[in-house]
Amino acid sequence: MEIRQVIGSLVCTHRITGLGHWDLRLLQDTKGKQYVATDPVDARPGDWVFVVSGSAARYAMGNAAILTDLTIGGIIDHWEAHDVAAARPTAALAAKAA
Amino acid sequence: MKICQVERPLVSTNRIPGFEHKHLLVVRDGSTQQVAVDAVGCVPGDWVICVGSSAAREAAGSKEYPSDLTIVGIIDHWPPETEAAGPRGAG
Repeated sequence: MEIRQVIGSLVCTHRITGLGHWDLRLLQDTKGKQYVATDPVDARPGDWVFVVSGSAARYAMGNAAILTDLTIGGIIDHWEAHDVAAARPTAALAAKAA
Repeated sequence: MKICQVERPLVSTNRIPGFEHKHLLVVRDGSTQQVAVDAVGCVPGDWVICVGSSAAREAAGSKEYPSDLTIVGIIDHWPPETEAAGPRGAG
C-alpha cells in the first residue's frame, strides 16, 4: 500500500456501470503526481490515506466486481507531512480554498 | 519478494472493514515508504521480506483480503552495510 494525500473529488457522471456510483477522490503523492481512487471511507481533502492497488483494490471495495485498480484502504490517524521526504503544501488544496 | 525495513506502526481507525484489525506497518524500501500488512509479528527496525500482488492477499489470511503488500518473513541476519542506504543510523 502507498501513502497519499487527498486533494479533492472528481465528478464523473458518464462512467461504465462497473464503477457503480462510488465516490472518486483525487490523490497526490509527495512528488505532485496525481491519482484517482475509489473511496469507500469518505476521505476529505487534506486527509492522508493509504491506498490499495491492483486486484486487491477490487477486494478492498468489498465487491470484486467493481472495476477499480486503486482504492483508499483507510485514513491515517496521525501523519505529519514532514514524515515524507520532499513533502510540500499542495498547490491544488490552496487553489480549492481560494 | 522485496526486502524492506520496518519503520513504525501505522494507525488507521477509519479503515475499510476488509482490513479487519490486522496490524499495518510503514516499511521502507530504499527511499520509498510503503504500508504493509503484518502476517508474522515484527517490530520497528526488523528487516523483512514482503510479497505483492495476489500472493499478498492470500498471505494476509484469505484470497479476499485486500492487501497488495504483506510481510511474510523476518530476516535473521542482514548485512549491516545496507543500512547506510536508509536514514536510520545505528538504530
